[in-house]
Amino acid sequence: MMQLGFESKRGAMVFAAVTLMCVCVAGMVLSADTYDAADAWWKPGDQRLMPASAEYQDALGRVRVVNANGPVATKGHAFFTALGSNGRACVTCHQPSNGMGLSAETIRRRWDQTGGTDPLFAAVDGSNCPNLQQADRKSHSLLLDRGLFRVFLPWPPRAADGSALQPEFTIEVVRDPTGCNTDPAYGLNSKTPSISVYRRPRPVANLKYLLELPHGVPPSEFLFYNDKSLLPRNPETGGFASLQLMSDGRDLTPKIQARDAAKNHLQTIAALSDKQLAQIESFETQVYAAQAFDNVAGDLTGAGSPPGLGPEALEKGAPARLGNNPINRIFGSFAMWQSLQPPAAGADQTRALMFRDSAARGADIFYLRRFLINDVGKYNDKGLGNPFKRSCGSGCHNTLLMGMDLAPGYMDLGLNNLPWANARPDLPLFKVVCNSSAAPQSYLGRVIYTHDPARGLITGKCADVGASMTQQSRSLAARAPYFMNGSAANLRELVDFYDRRFNIGYSEAEKVDLVNFLGVL
Amino acid sequence: MKRGHLSAALFFTAAAVLAADPPAGTPVSFLACPVARDTGPDTDLCFFAEYEGNRYALVNPPDWGVPQLKHRVLVEGRVKEGPGLCGAIPIEGRASVIAEIDENCNLILPFDDVIKGAAGGVFNSGTPQQRAFAQDLARRVALDPNLSVEPAIADPAPAPLPTPPFEQRTLVIIYPFDSDRGSGPDMVKLKDLVTFIKVANARSVRVVGFRATSRLSSGSDITEGQQIAENRATKIASILGGLGVNAKLVHVNWQARAIDGNGDGDWRNRKVEITVEP
Repeated sequence: MMQLGFESKRGAMVFAAVTLMCVCVAGMVLSADTYDAADAWWKPGDQRLMPASAEYQDALGRVRVVNANGPVATKGHAFFTALGSNGRACVTCHQPSNGMGLSAETIRRRWDQTGGTDPLFAAVDGSNCPNLQQADRKSHSLLLDRGLFRVFLPWPPRAADGSALQPEFTIEVVRDPTGCNTDPAYGLNSKTPSISVYRRPRPVANLKYLLELPHGVPPSEFLFYNDKSLLPRNPETGGFASLQLMSDGRDLTPKIQARDAAKNHLQTIAALSDKQLAQIESFETQVYAAQAFDNVAGDLTGAGSPPGLGPEALEKGAPARLGNNPINRIFGSFAMWQSLQPPAAGADQTRALMFRDSAARGADIFYLRRFLINDVGKYNDKGLGNPFKRSCGSGCHNTLLMGMDLAPGYMDLGLNNLPWANARPDLPLFKVVCNSSAAPQSYLGRVIYTHDPARGLITGKCADVGASMTQQSRSLAARAPYFMNGSAANLRELVDFYDRRFNIGYSEAEKVDLVNFLGVL
Repeated sequence: MKRGHLSAALFFTAAAVLAADPPAGTPVSFLACPVARDTGPDTDLCFFAEYEGNRYALVNPPDWGVPQLKHRVLVEGRVKEGPGLCGAIPIEGRASVIAEIDENCNLILPFDDVIKGAAGGVFNSGTPQQRAFAQDLARRVALDPNLSVEPAIADPAPAPLPTPPFEQRTLVIIYPFDSDRGSGPDMVKLKDLVTFIKVANARSVRVVGFRATSRLSSGSDITEGQQIAENRATKIASILGGLGVNAKLVHVNWQARAIDGNGDGDWRNRKVEITVEP
């Protein structure tokens, strides 16, 4: 349970107890409990004490998860207990060892450990479609290969009160390798017409940054940036809601999301009780996660480290602030890692310093390197201009310490819609045709081919087809693959997508620097 | 996301001109493809549009007027005195992005090292108090980089509450052609008006939406859609209600007939008028 040890995915180095020695030599105190990958899976019903601070091995080092309110006893806790008929709990898809998200590597390991019998692979959404042979690995290919769960949404869309909305577009299935959208029981022509799309679970950590309304971008504390219409109300507080919680913005609060997830992912029969919802919300809003140790750079927190790294910075930080300025630089200064002369000491130390220098260059590229952002629906057309010249950080990833877009809104980056989306023969492809009276998607018009209509499935609006909320950029090393449809298997593919999408022209060295930077977040 | 408020007017600069410059005060109204110009590695793009051999600069419009390639732009304004911007004639007025796609609008001029933009930033935007806060934090961060995760942009001080005597107030919100999207600065004014409505315990709020025809310099007319006046008025009423204004106070109306245009300032007719009676 308390072993130390990890393997580097970046190099071939293997660290074990030596790591602890190095940390002590460097004068650091390793205060967090540390778990290796082998015993890091949290099963529903496990009776554990989740520490106030714990580290978990991930692909590039260790992610640290902090419970700001102290240790959490999981016995009987609604987040950690199977609440529905399929044996899953919230923790099934929000694993501490994955920064409260879930990596495809963890999913595959779980498949291998259980022969596919873990509740994680429940037919309802852990397979490509419930009508498939569940014992067959191929039936779970999207989950195993891309970390994607089936999300089935009603068609036509429904308002928050359950009433049907009149969509501005029709939708047809062009092809569907999963078979679910054409299935008589689960598809568009079933008794309960629905559309199946396939998405990554978002990490349940650092939520205060997602739930607070934005500062410094008036009037976006009460209006959508895009069209200057009112934000929806948080039914629990009566205040406006930020919409940052989910990729399509459909569930506005942790409690609403928990209700939705319990019904659709946990297959609960009865609604969760107020006590269970309060317990889930209380836990989720105090847990923070970020990378804390890198296999090459070493410890990422403490004296001499960039102040924005580690979960403690997130716990202390001010939420929902603009970071796209020369002081904040989104994730704070990395100057302490820049251009340090390698000492005459050992090769590992030299390598660590070179890596840190590279990550610091990556921070500069992220914040400073401008490129033309063009044809992003619900972004370039919200008053920024097309094209709009910004960097990653000064453009869409401007929230201090978190790296998502601060203004409440969503955008079609090109993840879901053709022609920009990565080739995805494994996903359904839909054809959307918008009414002639509807405002068109600004750069695709009224006929759109998409793997996931995303926000358009919630609002029914043509201009929203394929648009999604940007998401936080923390604990990335613990929760690959990336993007809402898992298009990027690793950080390099993530950088390559942007480089292609916006014709940036990053050099090989710049790509390496960016990957190293993103990996320490 | 672009932060800060954009000016409510268009201000442009003339430089490279293809025909004789029209004199200041000359009204212009035309549809054209915007052209983007790169103004340097660390600065924003700027835009201009050509009409009858002249380039008219489209710089600092309200947020909804920032041009978009793949869309034509309706330019309405008057030629303005003053130095050029973006290599084009300055005008004062409005630009509207036309919603329908036009693939012909797709030209970006590369940086020519002559027409250079100015970088914006936290030290020259926001209120004086916000700028002073950022400058002070910058000094402290130079000494202690750990402070670089402290928010550099302070929340602005809340506007002072209105005080008696309370008199009738009217807010006019101008819209882009065929759209119900208000600008960010206008929506901030609307929020301030809501504060006034509440503090003054207003007796009534009258919301009237309008639609308009724009007469182009070529002599032809373009008219907004039938529904847009209603859409504008009901959207404003919805926002007022969402911000806590009692619906019983709000009287919503719209003028179905489009206001005629004369080619000089027709953009002023695309509006909602909100009148508050204390």
